[in-house]
Parts: sequence; structure tokens; C-alpha cells
Amino acid sequence: MNGILTVARLEFRLRIRAGRWRWLVGAWFLVLLGVTLLVRSAADQENLVGDLEEQRTLGAAMFGVVMLVVLALALLVTPALAAQSVNGDRERGTLATLQVTRLSAAEIALGKLLASWGTALVFLGVTLPLALWCYLEGGLSVLRIAGVYLVTALLLGIVCAISLALSTLLARTTTSAVLAYLTVFALTVGTLVTFGLVTASVQTEATVRNDGYGGSYEITVPRPDKTWFLLAPNPFAVLADSAPAAPVRTIELPNGDTIEEPLSVDVLGSMSRELHRIRAAPRYHDTEYGTQFAVPDGVTGGPVWPLGLGVNLLLAAGAIWVTIVRLRTPTRKLARGQRIA
Amino acid sequence: MTAAQAGVTARGIRRSFGPVHAVQGIDLDVPLGQVTALVGPNGAGKTTAMLVLATLLVPDAGEVRVAGFDPITQAGEVRARMGWAPDVFGMYDTLTCREYLETMAAAYRIPTGQRTDRARHLLELARLPDKAEQPVHSLSRGQKQRLGLVRALVHDPAVLLLDEPASGLDPRSRVELRDLLRRLAGEGRAVLVSSHILSDLEEVADRVVFVDGGRTVGQHAIGDMPQARTARTYRLRGLDPAALQAELEKRGVGWATAGHAGIDVQVLGGEESAARLLAELVAADVRVTAFAPVGGSLEATYLDLVEGQR
Repeated sequence: MNGILTVARLEFRLRIRAGRWRWLVGAWFLVLLGVTLLVRSAADQENLVGDLEEQRTLGAAMFGVVMLVVLALALLVTPALAAQSVNGDRERGTLATLQVTRLSAAEIALGKLLASWGTALVFLGVTLPLALWCYLEGGLSVLRIAGVYLVTALLLGIVCAISLALSTLLARTTTSAVLAYLTVFALTVGTLVTFGLVTASVQTEATVRNDGYGGSYEITVPRPDKTWFLLAPNPFAVLADSAPAAPVRTIELPNGDTIEEPLSVDVLGSMSRELHRIRAAPRYHDTEYGTQFAVPDGVTGGPVWPLGLGVNLLLAAGAIWVTIVRLRTPTRKLARGQRIA
Repeated sequence: MTAAQAGVTARGIRRSFGPVHAVQGIDLDVPLGQVTALVGPNGAGKTTAMLVLATLLVPDAGEVRVAGFDPITQAGEVRARMGWAPDVFGMYDTLTCREYLETMAAAYRIPTGQRTDRARHLLELARLPDKAEQPVHSLSRGQKQRLGLVRALVHDPAVLLLDEPASGLDPRSRVELRDLLRRLAGEGRAVLVSSHILSDLEEVADRVVFVDGGRTVGQHAIGDMPQARTARTYRLRGLDPAALQAELEKRGVGWATAGHAGIDVQVLGGEESAARLLAELVAADVRVTAFAPVGGSLEATYLDLVEGQR
């Protein structure tokens, strides 16, 4: 543990002194402040948020959009924090002198991970005042904010671990950085495109009956319930779906029934509901018009995020394992063009 | 040599990198309390052999003990007792010298309370005490080299492996390095030094191990090195250079001017012929003020070995 902290402290110090961090973090905060302001003025329109009383629930609407932007930007920053860690040290000739000390490969690997993750968390932490602002606007619970931040932090740690592993596998820092960005691209855009294309080609035929038009006919129905797992590892899906439920209000209908309704427009909640919906399998059921093959109203599949986060955590665990193995000395194999010292 | 006296023993180290046979049979003994020089041309396998000793590289074959432990299966034990300074190394430029050494002390698991003292002591050893709070990038090349050397001493190792420690050092620093190495050996450490600057090695080393083409071609105590078989250059100076040249020409000894430094002649047949030439010149009334071999005997033996291989 001490060894991990020794490496992490060293790396953290070097990072802080190397770049113009104050400017970078400052610019990062200003951009997100601007985003929050824009989102607030967009959400604060009467046609979006009904009556005056509901304006106090603006926070949930703001928070969802802001956190998606935070995640998107953080996913752009994070690979840069770890993707040149090991091969960069090799290039500078500082790795081997660390490896011959009493630090174990695991301590070096975890120390480097901790340092890059810690830096990513600094960027995330800077956005907390914006979350507080959203909270003060109403419609948010502390649990929801904490949950979203926790999952975002985990997702950034996962990206750090994968980037770090790439920096041990590839000799050149530019190659590993490019591959780290491609990995993030695969997780975000790749999962979405794959899901879309595979779902479009996995359709089932069903015979339905519509009494109004008089008779049965064949339809083809997309089956996202068979392909949803392709979308599950998407960081945005994980973030939206894992967020603790937004506070709801109970509305009493004129007939005496009550329904629960989200307090305001909430993009995370909408994404989550959509994800649950695609997990539900369509089935034959009778309606007043005839027999349909569809997902019955009110039926949803389970949450998507446990699988998604699980897959991501497994990837990270594998990446950490690779990093440790690649840092182990004495070594038998050298990658082509790799210098040991 | 028993294990207790031996800092390093290596028998038959072999290591290939793909088609390149970097090391094809290096034998090496580095006794405690002595400075052993590892000498050979570029590409002879010196650095690769050092990497094996430094617990960084698994050899394809060979029996190796460093401080009594196997660097492959007992790397941790070896690391606790071995210091290594590579030929090319980087430093954490933005750290101060003190931070750098304290970080290394932490990496060697030296207790927190002792790290500051240790760093101060090492900075004094490196003659950099006033640079303690300066960032490493502000150091000159020679100062960095010294800092890198004392870094290898952070944990007070019994075995010291130094790959080309003299490269980049000015003459004064080289003399200091020599004194430091002697002192470290005097404290009972086993010191292995590779270098190209043979004249320096000759003055500091107790033993010399010659490697060429990935093999050990000879291990000698510095006192009983084989005499050079090939011609050796001697540099002569006389009060009257013209008379000296004339006398040399009379004897059919080829000479070449070395500018203000004097006249260089090639002497075949070892020190015996050199002594005879000097006696003849003196007998012929040439007033000789300097008559000395160019380069040390180490260099001569080394060149001899390298020539012999070709």
C-alpha cells in the first residue's frame, strides 16, 4: 500500500508541475459553467416546465444534461491522462530505475492508475459546485447526485485502467494514445452503432390480426430485447440507467386513481426508461382491436446498467492485470523496439 | 572464491533478442571490496549482461548470483542489496534533487523518518548539497550523472552495477568518480563498472573483465595483464625536436608528429623494446624529456584482444 502511494505521489507531483493545470482546470470549469447556464435558460421556458410551482424542479432537468456533457468531456480528457504513462516512462528512461527498487509491479501499476484516476477526479470534482446549483434549483435528491457522481467516477477509472494497459502494450506513446481514444470511441459510438445495425438485422416475423381492417397480416418486428446487451456497456447508458430515481410527485386523477410522475423533464430518467423498454420482449396479446405482437403497455425489462457496468469493470480488471504482467521484471520478452532502461 | 566474498558471480550468461545474439557466454566475477571493470567494444553485450544482473532481464541460459541470490527467482532479495545505474537514464525533471532522492528512498522502503537524512547524505556525496532544492532539470549533465550514481546508493547496497558512469563527466568529475568508486569498494562493496574511458578504469579497477562479441575473452587482475603483442604508441619529447627526429630516422623508427605534444613512435615487442629504444636515444646524447606510452596498458590489452578477434 505504501508503495502504491509512493508511486502515486510521484506521478501526481510530476503531472501537476508538468503542464498548465490551473489553466486547463479553469477552462474546463468555465466551459461547463457555460453549459449549465445554457441548459438552465433552455429548461426555464414555460412550454417545457408548465407552471410556476414547477420551476423549483428545474434542477433535475439541468443536472441530467450537465452530467451527460461532463461525462462526454471527461471521456475526452481521461485517455490523455494514462495512455502515455508506461511507454512514456520507458522513452524517458525512468521506468527501469523504478523497477529495480523494491516496488513490486503491482505497486507501480496501481500507483500509476491511482495518479491518473485521481487527476480525472480533480476534473470531476471541479464540477461539484454546478451539481450544487442544480440541487438548489430543486427536483433532485442528494442520493441521485451522489449516485451519478459515483458511477461517473467509476467510468473514468475504467477508462484510466484501459489506457494504462495500452501504454504498457505499445512501445510508442502516440500509438497508445490513439488506441485509447479509439477504445473510448468504441465504447460510446461503437456500441450504439453496433446495437443499431445488429438490431436492424435481427427481426422476427409475426402474424397479427386487426379486426378493424378485417383480417390477419404479417409484420416484421425489431427485437432489441435480443440485442440490448450490445448497448449496455455504453458509458452514457450506464450512467443514465444507474442513476437513483429522481423524486416523483403523486398526482390524483379526477377518477380517484393516483399516478406517479417525474417532477420535471429529466433526460437521464428518459434514457433509463427507454433502455428498460428495449429490454422487454414483444409478445402476442389481445387488445380491443385484435391480436398484437408488441411490448404490452406498462411492461418493461429490467435495468441495463448492472450488465453494462459489470462488463466495463471486467475490462478494467483485465486491463489492470495486463498492466501488472507487463511491468513485471525480470522480463523474458521485449516488445519490438522497446528499450528496457 | 566463496559465495560470501563474491558480490556477483555469473557463468555462461546467454541472451538473444530475436536473431541478435547479444550475449553468448559471459562469465563474470565481481568480488566484494574491489572495483571490477567490464571492458569491451560497443555491442559486446555489456549492457545486456548488466540488465541480467540488475534483475531486469531473464537470460536464455546461465547461472547468476548477485549478493548471494538469484536475480531471476529471488529478484526482491537481490534488489534490496544491489544498486544499478544504467548508461542512459532519465530523471524526473521537475522534482528537486532532494525530492528525487527521497522518492527513491521511499521506493526502497526506507522508513519515512530516515529519508531526509539519507537524501542529505547522498547529496553531499554527489557534491550537490546546495542543489537540494533545485529542480533536476537545472543540473548540468555531469551533475545529473552524479545524482544518478548516488541514487543507486540510496539503500546502501553491497553490490553496485554502473553502466558507463563516466560518460558526460568533465575531467575533474572523472577524478572524483574514481575516488568515489575506490571509497565505495573500500567500504567492502562489490563494484562493477563498464566504461569506454579505459585510462580512467585502469586507475580505479582492481580487476578487468574483457568481453567481445557477447563473450568473456579474459578476466585479469589489473596487476598481471598480458603484455601487448602488437605495436604500441609511445610519445616522446626532447629538448631539441630536430635532433630527436634525426636520431629516430637513423634507427629506422617510424615517427609522426603529435604537434606540441611531441612525437609519436610505434614500438613493437613490448616494454623490452621500448626500454631499449630509450637507452639508445639517451646513449646517442638525445636529451629526452618525456617517453611514455600513449594510453594505458588496459587500452593496449584491450586493443590487442579486439584486434585478435578480427
